[in-house]
Amino acid sequence: MQFSSRLIEDAVNAFAGLPGIGKKTALRLVLSLVQRPTEDSVHLARAIASMRENIQHCITCGNLSDQTVCSICRDQRRDKSIICVVESIRDVMAIEETQQYRGVYHVLGGVISPIEGIGPADLNIDTLVQRSTAPEVREVIMAISPTIEGDTTIFYINKQLTEADVQVSSIARGVSFGGELEYADEVTLGRSIVARRKL
Amino acid sequence: MHLSHLKLTQFKNYESQHLDFSPRLNCFVGFNGAGKTNLLEAIYYLCMSKGYGSTVDQYSIRHGDRGARIGGTFVLDDEREDRIVVKLRKRQRKVIERNGTAYARISEHVGRYPVVIVTPDDINLVLEGSATRRKLLDNSLSQTDPQYLNHLITYNRLLDNRNARLKELEGHPDHTGLLGVYDAQMEAPAMYIFEKRKEFVDPFTELLTQAYATISGRREEVGLEYKSQLLDTGWETLLAERAEKDRILQRTTGGIHRDELVFTQDEHPLRRVASQGQLKSFVLSLKLAQYRLLERSTNRTPILLLDDIFDKLDHERVKQLLGLVMGSTFGQLFITDTDPERITSLISHDPAVEWQRFLVVDGVARNEAEWKRFLEEE
Ligand SMILES: Nc1ncnc2c1ncn2[C@@H]1O[C@H](COP(=O)(O)OP(=O)(O)OP(=O)(O)O)[C@@H](O)[C@H]1O
Ligand SMILES: [Mg+2]
Ligand SMILES: [Zn+2]
Repeated sequence: MQFSSRLIEDAVNAFAGLPGIGKKTALRLVLSLVQRPTEDSVHLARAIASMRENIQHCITCGNLSDQTVCSICRDQRRDKSIICVVESIRDVMAIEETQQYRGVYHVLGGVISPIEGIGPADLNIDTLVQRSTAPEVREVIMAISPTIEGDTTIFYINKQLTEADVQVSSIARGVSFGGELEYADEVTLGRSIVARRKL
Repeated sequence: MHLSHLKLTQFKNYESQHLDFSPRLNCFVGFNGAGKTNLLEAIYYLCMSKGYGSTVDQYSIRHGDRGARIGGTFVLDDEREDRIVVKLRKRQRKVIERNGTAYARISEHVGRYPVVIVTPDDINLVLEGSATRRKLLDNSLSQTDPQYLNHLITYNRLLDNRNARLKELEGHPDHTGLLGVYDAQMEAPAMYIFEKRKEFVDPFTELLTQAYATISGRREEVGLEYKSQLLDTGWETLLAERAEKDRILQRTTGGIHRDELVFTQDEHPLRRVASQGQLKSFVLSLKLAQYRLLERSTNRTPILLLDDIFDKLDHERVKQLLGLVMGSTFGQLFITDTDPERITSLISHDPAVEWQRFLVVDGVARNEAEWKRFLEEE
C-alpha cells in the first residue's frame, strides 16, 4: 500500500496492529476519521488512553474493573455464596448476557496446558482456593470450555477444593465437545448454567 | 465400484491426458521415470483427496504451471456414476468436487471410494520403528470406529501435555498433583484403545496368513503379535510403575503409546530373518488383509493399486499373487511394470480376463490401439 501522507500511514499501521484488522480496514477507519470533525478523533484517542491507564483487574475475581474491586463483586444484590469459574473475561460477559446467573465470578486467565507453557501456577487458581474457604461460599461452578485441557483444569481445581467445604459443579454440556464457550449461543449457555451437574 | 475414466491436466509430468479403464485389470508399462506411478497417484488422489505417503500437493502440480486438475468417473455397483474433480492450485486451498459440487469439508469425501495402494516404500512398515506399525493399527481401527479416533486424539493430547509437564518439572516431584489428573484422564481412552487393538489382531492375522499362504505357496509361515504393557499389568499398576521412571526420564514411559505390533516368520522376528522377496510377500499380504477390512467397513469393493510389485518376487510368487488378485473376490486393479511383456505372458493365456494395457512414455499414456496408430503415423 502506497501512502502520500506519513501521518495517514502511521495511523493506518497503528490500527492494523490490532487483531482482526487488516490494512484495508485500517485505511477505511482512518479515512473515515479524516472526514469527521476533529473532536471525534480526539474523543477516540482520549477514550482509549483513559481506558488503558485506568483499567485494572479486580483483586477478588480477576474481572476487568474501573476500581480495585469490580462492579459485580461490589453489587450487594449478587449471591456471594456461588462462584462461577471461567477462563476469560469474555466468558464473564457471555454469561452475564444470559441473565441466568446471580452469583459472582472467578476468572482463571486460561486453562492448564503445559504444551503451551501454561501450568497451574500461571493461572488464578490459588486465589480461587483461598476465596472458596470463606464460610459464606457454598458452591463453585466450573464454566470451562469442554475441551481436553478444560477437563484437566476442572479435575485439577476440583482436587484443590477438596479441603474447602464447597459443592463443586460443572455446567451441563449443552455445548458440543471441543467447542469454545464464548461461541455458544445464549440459550444453550443459559440452560447449561441452570442445569449444572455436581462433580 | 470401479473407475471408468481419468482426465489429468497439468498433473505431475502429464500435460493433458484422457484414459478409459477396464473395470477389471489395467496395466501401465514403460521405462523408469515415464509416469506410471504418477497415474496411480492420480487415482489415489481421486479416492482419498490427497496423495499417498509423503506426497505434497504443491509438487503434484506440473513444473511451471499454477494449478493441476484430476478428474475421474466412478461407476458404482448400481450403475450410478459419480464424477470427482480434484483441483490443486499454488498457494490456495484445494477443492474437491463431487458431481459438480464442492464438498464443504474434505473429510466427507474419504471412505466413499475405498482404495488400497502397495508401493515399494511400504517395506518401511516392517523396517521402521514401532510408530509406523501403531499407525497401521490406528488407521485400520479409525476407519470402522469413529470413537476410536476420538479416544486416540484425546489420549495423544493428554500425553503431550503430560510430557510437557514432566519436562517443566525438570526431574522434581509434582507437588500440585497435576500429573495425577492426567493419569486419571488417560485411563478411559487408554483402556478403550487397548481393548480395540487387542480385538483387532486375531481376525486381522487370519486374513494376513491366508493371503501369505497363497502367495508363498506355504513355503514359510508368518504371524503377528500384539504387545502392550497392559497385557501384563492393569492400569493402576502401570501408573505406579511408570511414576518414578517418568520423573527421572522426564517423559511418559508407560501406556498404549508404547504398544508394538511384532511381525514374525516361522516364530522369528520377521525383520531379522526374512529375505527381500519374503519381506515383499509379507507387505503385500498385509495390504491385502487391509483390503478385506476396508471392504467390510465401507461395503464397497476397493480399488487396488499395485506399484512395482514384481520387483524381487520370484516367478512362482508373481503367478500366485496375480492369480489371487485377479480372482472374483477382488475388484478393479491397476498394476505398473517396466517390462511390457511380463504381465502379458502371465495373463494372456486366459481370454476371459478383460484387461487394458497402457504404454507410458514421458508423460503420455496410450492404450494398445492408440499406440499402434501413433507408430503408424511416425
Ligand atoms: N510436478 C512435476 N512436474 C513435472 N514432472 C514431474 C513432477 N513431479 C514428478 N515429475 C516427473 O515424473 C517422473 C516420475 O514419474 P513416475 O514416478 O510416475 O515414474 P515411473 O514411470 O513410475 O518410473 P519408475 O519405473 O522408475 O518407478 C519423473 O520424470 C519426474 O521428473
Ligand atoms: Mg514408479
Ligand atoms: Zn470482581
